[in-house]
Amino acid sequence: MNWSTTTIAIYGLTALGAVAVYLLLPRAGRSARVAGTLLGLAALAGLVVLSLRSFAIPGSEDFYFYLLAVLALTSAAGVITQRKAVYSALYFVLTVVAVAGLVVLLEAEFLAAALIIIYGGAILVTYLFVIMLAQQEGQPLYDRRVRGGWWACVAGFLLTATVASALSDFLLLAPVVAPPMTVEVANTDRLGLVVMTRYMVVLQAAGILLLLALVGAVAIVRKRYPHLETVERPLPAIGQAGREAAPF
Amino acid sequence: MAELSNYILVGALLFGLGVIGFLTRRNLIVVFLCTELMFQGVVVNLVAFARYWGNLQGQAFALFLLVIAAVEAGLALALVVVLYRRRGTLDSEAWNSMRG
Repeated sequence: MNWSTTTIAIYGLTALGAVAVYLLLPRAGRSARVAGTLLGLAALAGLVVLSLRSFAIPGSEDFYFYLLAVLALTSAAGVITQRKAVYSALYFVLTVVAVAGLVVLLEAEFLAAALIIIYGGAILVTYLFVIMLAQQEGQPLYDRRVRGGWWACVAGFLLTATVASALSDFLLLAPVVAPPMTVEVANTDRLGLVVMTRYMVVLQAAGILLLLALVGAVAIVRKRYPHLETVERPLPAIGQAGREAAPF
Repeated sequence: MAELSNYILVGALLFGLGVIGFLTRRNLIVVFLCTELMFQGVVVNLVAFARYWGNLQGQAFALFLLVIAAVEAGLALALVVVLYRRRGTLDSEAWNSMRG
């Protein structure tokens, strides 16, 4: 492996970002949120400059790409550093919106709409419901202290920097440029055709999986545990079993 | 049109942030939010590769990934509700007797 300038820059900027995330994580003692924010913004700006210098191709959509990428990364940092779970969930909505924008730039419009509807709509509402359901008084301790922040930041830095530098080494040799899109058929039509023909079995399996998860979730959160009950219930008369079953 | 490595970099950084959050946060709900964050990084990668190969397989894969994410969210939140009922807290340290 040759240590090109780009590799060293990627390692340095990722390390800077990891330090920023470490400073931003909720910890005991004095918080260093201002320093963490400044360091994180510096790391992001460095990454943008590096990307412009090493990878960029002059084009019209690049501005939106950098805008959406910076938005996605800052809101993702917000998800993991906020002290309140509700704020984490709301920052995650922002991440989903930014990622959907990136997906639109990649000309996958149906998937962008699906991301917004399924993630921003359905999944996040479920999360918010559970957050409201399990609300605790004030700010509990487990939201104000992280566990092993230093080692986790080192692990995340190593993972990200290794993947990014390996890929950049590989891609700098032969820059991969997107082929121009020449199809007249809409993305939704083409994707629907592929899913309904080539991936038909997978689609059916996905439906069965969703049904199983639905039944499983209801079975998990049922409040009564019949095998744990100590009170003997009288056996129902013959032919009457299940007639007066109470709802869950 | 930005180059492929830009999108891969964004995906890797989103995944790395999710890993850091998953390892450090103690609130069970936030831990599962961080897995969703990792899913977002994977979605960016899949769609970017689909675009640059010029076919739709990555997009179809990302669509099924959304199904898996929905299933995971439903079951995980059901488990969180059960755990909260048992101990009255969302702290994952309350369950550290389960470590081997």
